[in-house]
Amino acid sequence: MRRYILSRLIRWIPSVFVLLLTIYALVFFGAGDPIKLIFLQAPGDVAYDPARVEAIREAAGLNRPFLVQFGDYLANVVQGDFGNSLVSGRSVNSMIQAALPVTLQIGLSAICIVSLLGIALGVIAGLNQNKLLDNVIVGFAMIIWGIPVFVSGPLIIVVLVLGFNQDVPYGWDGLFSPLVLVPLLVLGLNPMALIIRQARAGVLEVLSEDYVRTARAKGIPNLQVVLRHIMRPVLTPVVSQIGLLVIATLNNSILIEKVFGLPGLGRLTETAIKSSDYPVILAIVLIFSVVVMTSNLLVDISYPLLDPRAAAKRTENEE
Amino acid sequence: MTELAIQGPQEDRQISLVQDAFARLAANKLAVLGMILVAVLFIIAAFGPWLTPYDFLDQDLMARNQPPSWNHWFGTDDLGRDILSRVIYGARTAVVVAFSTVFFSLIIGLFIGSIGGYFGGKVDAFVVWLIDITMSVPSLLVVIVINVSLKPSMVNWMDAKFMETGNEFYRNTIWVDFILVFGSMALIKWPKAARIIRGQIMSVRNKNYVLAAEALGVSTPNIIRRYVIPNSIGPVIVYISAALGEAMVLESSFSFLGVGVRPPIPSWGNMISDGLRVWQLYPHVLAAPAAALAVVTIAFSFLGDGLNDALNPRQWK
Amino acid sequence: MKKRLLGSLLLGLSMLGFSPAAPQAAEGQVLNVQHPVLEQNWSPLQGGGHSARWMSLWWAAPMYFDKDGQLTPYVLSEVTSDANYQVWSLKISAKAVFSDGSPITADDVVGTWNLSARPATKHSRVNLFLGDVTGFEEVSLGKAQDMTGLKVVDARTIEVTLVRADPIFDQKIATALIAPVKIAQAEDANGNEKQDWWMPQNGVVVSGPFMPESMDLDKGVITFVPNPNFFGPKPKLSKIVVTTVSDPSTATLMLRRGTMDAATELITPTIIQDLGPGFLNGPALAKGQQFWFNPNRAPMDDINVRKALVMAVNPKELALAAFPDGPFTPASQILNKVPGVDASYPNYPYDPEGAKAALAASKYGQSGRLPKIMFVGISTPTHEAAAQYIAEQWRKVLGIQGVEMKPAIETYSGPDQASVQIFRDDVGTRVPDAVSYLMGSIHSGSGNARNKMGGYQNAEVDSLLESASTKGVKDPERISLAQKAQRLFRDDWMYIPYYYDVMSKWAMPWVKNFDKNDDWQVIEPWNVEIDEAGRP
Repeated sequence: MRRYILSRLIRWIPSVFVLLLTIYALVFFGAGDPIKLIFLQAPGDVAYDPARVEAIREAAGLNRPFLVQFGDYLANVVQGDFGNSLVSGRSVNSMIQAALPVTLQIGLSAICIVSLLGIALGVIAGLNQNKLLDNVIVGFAMIIWGIPVFVSGPLIIVVLVLGFNQDVPYGWDGLFSPLVLVPLLVLGLNPMALIIRQARAGVLEVLSEDYVRTARAKGIPNLQVVLRHIMRPVLTPVVSQIGLLVIATLNNSILIEKVFGLPGLGRLTETAIKSSDYPVILAIVLIFSVVVMTSNLLVDISYPLLDPRAAAKRTENEE
Repeated sequence: MTELAIQGPQEDRQISLVQDAFARLAANKLAVLGMILVAVLFIIAAFGPWLTPYDFLDQDLMARNQPPSWNHWFGTDDLGRDILSRVIYGARTAVVVAFSTVFFSLIIGLFIGSIGGYFGGKVDAFVVWLIDITMSVPSLLVVIVINVSLKPSMVNWMDAKFMETGNEFYRNTIWVDFILVFGSMALIKWPKAARIIRGQIMSVRNKNYVLAAEALGVSTPNIIRRYVIPNSIGPVIVYISAALGEAMVLESSFSFLGVGVRPPIPSWGNMISDGLRVWQLYPHVLAAPAAALAVVTIAFSFLGDGLNDALNPRQWK
Repeated sequence: MKKRLLGSLLLGLSMLGFSPAAPQAAEGQVLNVQHPVLEQNWSPLQGGGHSARWMSLWWAAPMYFDKDGQLTPYVLSEVTSDANYQVWSLKISAKAVFSDGSPITADDVVGTWNLSARPATKHSRVNLFLGDVTGFEEVSLGKAQDMTGLKVVDARTIEVTLVRADPIFDQKIATALIAPVKIAQAEDANGNEKQDWWMPQNGVVVSGPFMPESMDLDKGVITFVPNPNFFGPKPKLSKIVVTTVSDPSTATLMLRRGTMDAATELITPTIIQDLGPGFLNGPALAKGQQFWFNPNRAPMDDINVRKALVMAVNPKELALAAFPDGPFTPASQILNKVPGVDASYPNYPYDPEGAKAALAASKYGQSGRLPKIMFVGISTPTHEAAAQYIAEQWRKVLGIQGVEMKPAIETYSGPDQASVQIFRDDVGTRVPDAVSYLMGSIHSGSGNARNKMGGYQNAEVDSLLESASTKGVKDPERISLAQKAQRLFRDDWMYIPYYYDVMSKWAMPWVKNFDKNDDWQVIEPWNVEIDEAGRP
């Protein structure tokens, strides 16, 4: 197992390097200059003096050649230092340290809740195939699948405020504050459809297996059948969706953190991209891919625990 | 002689499979509904300009934010433009972007996937590595960075070309939006297609009858035509249907963030983001594009499920 | 069925006792301010950005304009000049102290100004205020550390030498954007700004009526409490909380409910219907928004094209598209509000036929031969609506296709992008003077002419303005020369008139005494109070 993890890591390091180089080059050559932006984004009475901007850039070390800057950057990153923001001069490490826990906490809780709820709903739907309950759950899954988070987020806020006369759920006060409920709901709704469908399909497939039919025919109570025979094979396809779920949650956090005032990576991303603050953008890209990589690794490790057969097949496919 | 022996049963099987699949699909009511909706979407996208009651750009500043009426079925937006016409034109944007995205990701995927599957060994390991990193990239973030950073340079280049050559083609840089949006999305979306193809080639390669055919001297293109394509077509169709829906949602997320298709060209995403600004007072401005997006997403997912049930070889066992 | 499910889900949520941040046991009034961007930099030395809009809360300006536009002493008690308006003497008030009780000294003022001028500090407006001080140029380009024109005479006296006569230098420095800071805190040994010195965690010492109590820049929440050692009147508010809420729709809801009382800046297409006319309204500003042409890029290099583009736009409809319910007024000439507005200025006509004729007379001849036209500065929904209206007029009247505009997230592409020919931006003046208004907008040395109008230069306009600027404030020549220059500029057809700004209050009606000056600063922060009865 350790060797497996190690070999994954070794494969992963060059990919991170390629990713960082690509993004650095894109932002360096393509996007705007953060220093110019400070002057250009401000209202009109700001005097934009090219000579002065050049002097500022020089003071910030921005007119050195690309490779020198990237090399410097990389050397610092290897030592765990993401440098300073070009716009505010603050240390990127401290920004990330503050933002990452928020996104991780909300994201992980959303994924957990979504998986539990989604599996439960999916299993219920599957057991009641083609009955009213099934149709309701599948219909619900379809509807939440069709509404993107950037619509459902503001929609729920307005319903709460105008319809139920509540205050706007805004800000971050720790994971156990009631403020978190709505963003959790919004983050979770859309990907939950995915889980419901997977779980339902899993149940339907298992139900057709002989041993389950026998168990049911024997009159063993439904719940017991579910727990004993169905849960395990249903979990496998669901777990395989976790990687997708993580990416979806990270993407959604970019879209909605701003709406709910969550001081996480998503909101940081939006601000950084607008001001072309590339030390921050690069750090976020790196963190996001670490998160996705780690979750993929966890999925792969947990596979054999769930279903040795499937795991064997999977590694065979990979070869 | 030997060739015929192999060919006969194979083709029979193919025909019956296709018939089978159709029967399964037709029996699935939701899938049929999805198919109808998708067909309607394509018709609207294809004939949009002849269907719209108004020009999607026509402004009537005296009739801003009008609620739905007989004149304007979906009402008008903040510049007095007919929302129905804009939703219809937005369908066009959605279809163009989604199709190009899927087309290009399929091409990239087919190419890379088949290289990996065909050559195996070190090459395949590299392909798997490439698939792995692409799939673990924070997609939305990277696509935004690509869009934001490449657009100005591309626009500049096209303008320079226009000045130089006077060629009309370079004049309208609205296409840069489209190219960048679907180009960057294809760069993120190809691994799924590559996986399917690679998996199929790998599994076909090891099947006894293929090994036999190879041993008998059947050429590689023939093997691909006879075994690889028929086996892959099901998963690929399912992939296309799912990817089309995903691409539409993704496109609208970009436009929502302001990096996708620019106004005044309507896209459901930028219409939604316009609508979100005013919807406490004028909910209809948001309702139409959001509903259109939802219906299309759901339709593709119905269709995808149906196709999956009908074509997925796993369930024929 | 499905609807019921959603409904009960929401109901369940609300029954869980869903209410954000229970109101603190307030002994006194708390002002909640909505801030539109997550800002990491609150340094008082940057002179720009949204954070600089709240400078007057925590920093005492050298002097300030009161509500009636009277120049009022603040940190400086007396500012006098010699007869040539070239050497100025600044006296620091004996009462002026920082929040730790230490006096504000001449070294603090001079040090702050030098530090602001150095390029590494990135102060974005310092040249508007101190640009004429001898030695500024060298410092701002990083060639010198200190301005030779700033001299400390004694602990409370400074002598300023200017490179040219400037009768309004005293008005120029009446701004919180160059408020003196305690220089020993802000500057390191190398003459660079210390990182994060302005945070309360680092014990920052301030001079304004309020001082920061906490700054959580990652959350985007900043709180201010009264400065016990403030040398002016005692503040009425007991706390100010600035919270980042970047989604305009959420922000509107919060203001409506009274969760927020004021905003740093908030514009939505329906803001007047949502929050009432008082929210956006305010006194007229000597500032105008226009769409500036760049005459060095095709097709704007042909005056007939510019003429056609201007005449195809109906100013009344433009206003209707952008701000149908006010509070702005459609623009015509550049000058507004300052003494010297040209009463008989010939407005640009709306004339579709004339526009077509002008286009036909241009070297391009017809719309199909024009290169693509691109707008930048389309950063708010209002500007987007205006730009879309203009593009539609051009399409309808002149047949021009493919006009492009750049909204928020891409504003960075900036004017150095080769293809941009139109730049929406505001010009204005901070001092009530027609000459400095035009010097900052149409003179070839202004940032506006150099960047937004791509290096526009009309020698006649320049020389008229230059000779006007040396005339005394009371000399009638000053105004008549300026008006002449403006008429000459008009005949170059360089802009589409858009609107004259007001200094929006951006506060709900229950916030009292919240008037702001042209630098966006609350004029008298100590007077701000809340009419609790008016809160919802």
